[in-house]
Amino acid sequence: MNAGISRPTAVLGLAAVALSLVTLLGLPTPLQAVAAIAVLILLPGQALARLTPVTDFALRALLVLALGLAALTAVSTAMFYLAVWSWQACVVTMGVITILACIARARQEAVS
Amino acid sequence: MTTTIEAPNRIQGRWKPRDVWCALAGVVSLALAVWAASTVAVPVSSDLGLAAVLPYPFWVGVLILNVAFIVALRGDAAGPARRPVMLWLVVVLVLVLFGTAAFVTDVPRGEVAFRHLGIADALSRTEGIDPDIDAYFNWPGFFALLATVLKATGLDPVTVALWAPVLNMGLWLAALSVLTGYLTRDPRRRWLVLWIFCLGNWQDQDYLSPQAFGFFLYLVVIALVLGPLAARTPKFLGFGRADLTAWWLGRSPAEHRPGHRVSALAVTLLLITVICASHQLTPFLVLITVTALTLSGRVWPSRLPLITAVVLALWLVFPASAYLAGNPPLAEGGLLAAIDANVVDRVSGTAGHVLVVQVRVLLTLVLWALATAGAVRDWRRGRLDIRVVLLAVTPLLLFPVQLYGGEMLIRVSLFALPFIALQACSVLLPADGSTRPSSRAAGGLVLTCLLLAGMTVTGRFGNAQYDVFTDNEITAVAAVKRLAPPGSMIISASTPTPWRSEAYLEHRYRTIDFMCKSDLSTATCGPLVYEDARDNPAGAVVLLTRSSEASLVLRGVSSEGSFDELEAWLSAQDGVELVFSNVDARVYRVTP
Repeated sequence: MNAGISRPTAVLGLAAVALSLVTLLGLPTPLQAVAAIAVLILLPGQALARLTPVTDFALRALLVLALGLAALTAVSTAMFYLAVWSWQACVVTMGVITILACIARARQEAVS
Repeated sequence: MTTTIEAPNRIQGRWKPRDVWCALAGVVSLALAVWAASTVAVPVSSDLGLAAVLPYPFWVGVLILNVAFIVALRGDAAGPARRPVMLWLVVVLVLVLFGTAAFVTDVPRGEVAFRHLGIADALSRTEGIDPDIDAYFNWPGFFALLATVLKATGLDPVTVALWAPVLNMGLWLAALSVLTGYLTRDPRRRWLVLWIFCLGNWQDQDYLSPQAFGFFLYLVVIALVLGPLAARTPKFLGFGRADLTAWWLGRSPAEHRPGHRVSALAVTLLLITVICASHQLTPFLVLITVTALTLSGRVWPSRLPLITAVVLALWLVFPASAYLAGNPPLAEGGLLAAIDANVVDRVSGTAGHVLVVQVRVLLTLVLWALATAGAVRDWRRGRLDIRVVLLAVTPLLLFPVQLYGGEMLIRVSLFALPFIALQACSVLLPADGSTRPSSRAAGGLVLTCLLLAGMTVTGRFGNAQYDVFTDNEITAVAAVKRLAPPGSMIISASTPTPWRSEAYLEHRYRTIDFMCKSDLSTATCGPLVYEDARDNPAGAVVLLTRSSEASLVLRGVSSEGSFDELEAWLSAQDGVELVFSNVDARVYRVTP
């Protein structure tokens, strides 16, 4: 089963776990910004874009940004409406979304 | 055989001298523009804005940049210059046109970015959404995103607002470059569209705002609709019912992999939902453009407009119902009222300000004229792409529907701009995409680009006398935050004022020109402001800044002398005390 999971999928999932933890623990300002943007926007965007069969590089890159921003907007807005918002909760949720998307991608890879 | 194939690749992989010179020209023009902008003294003294005070090296930089771009675009028989060179020149253009203000001052331009920071701050403090506060809390998507990003990254909110125009332009251009790939295969045309889009972008909607975010997502939606969700149509036979039915049923998906279409549809629906949650106007533009493209037979999921309409209606009926109950969307509208609010009311004020407004109108007309000429040229050659025409024209349908605070023309012209730029390329480049523009045509292109650049800098930064703030004004706003007790009213002369970036919910914010409507004379306006201030149980703080007064004078609402008279009257009243002052601002406390 593991043989069916590609290295990028595994790296993406592990990076989401690691960066979520360091973002929550806190880093010096420039590093915190880089880690937070990665874990909140870029990694979820990449994980979700990899679920689509888009092969065009430019469209894929655009979808990483658009899906990352859109997913974070949806999560943050929902948390505000439910009165459960905190930036830490958003980091955890986006990390979970990334990992779930990686699991879904791993299943796709295992089947194909 | 292998050697024969690889040799040209190696040659193509080398940088030609022309590419190196163009890239260096980009470096030089950026250095000139940054240096020139950094020498501008704030406050800007001219009612023509930054264009009048930027020293000549800035314009030399703009000239070099446009010449370098056209030389690179012209390239050789194989096509334009290498992609990294073209990309670098576009990056330089974005920095020169959209980063200019950031090189002049460390303070973001205009009031609205400050207000948007305040809303994000209010959300993160309350950790919930009260839709009764104001319209922003009925479309909170972008502010929720902003609150999360600012808190998680620890970035300075003011710095984020300062560089937001460059960031937003980057996002827009990324989406536009993908989108144009579905509309044209000509690389020269694709690069020129990006260039013209930047040069025609006087609307100044790229600041930290929900509309800038919504416009990015709109461009991505259109890219998906023109790409994976596109349909191919059979030959159009006529408007007879049988012909139309046969034509409609004869459509086929441009993307043959069903999984690809389903995933693209899922992404599109997510983006549409986020757009509906983030901005009032953008979902309507998505709806009408997607509907127009679907009716033209160019969109495969034919129920996409219906789904968009349902998502939009659900947002309006539930999360945005509090705002809509008091503000019916179609209460104000009509073509004449729209023209009055969007054009006539704006062409007033000092001579310089009127000239700036006229330059904006002229720039829009020049681009539309070029696009019309391009469309006619394409039509004569049987190459007119109906998708481009629909995307350029359909945003205009919203113009008479809602006044949108007199900003509807600005908004619809922005949404049309990418496709106006694309259509204008049909007249700016040779009809045959593979043909290299002649030297004469390249000269004409340079002149056109220079003209557009001059007009954009004039139009875009034309309000710099009042929307570029000084450090003294920021210090005064900080003093107001310190001096104003909770619940007090904060009164400014006019917009723009760099306030509300914090304590958005703790005070009532009013401007004197709003309180006094059209009459700012001391006899009428003075008692009105004074009584309102004293009636507030927690009192009031009156902030009078250089920029807000300049705004009143430039827009022709008041004169310098009459406003001084109003201030003198106000400061002489009982319970009014000057509590802070510097060269650019005075702060008065009004006790209840």
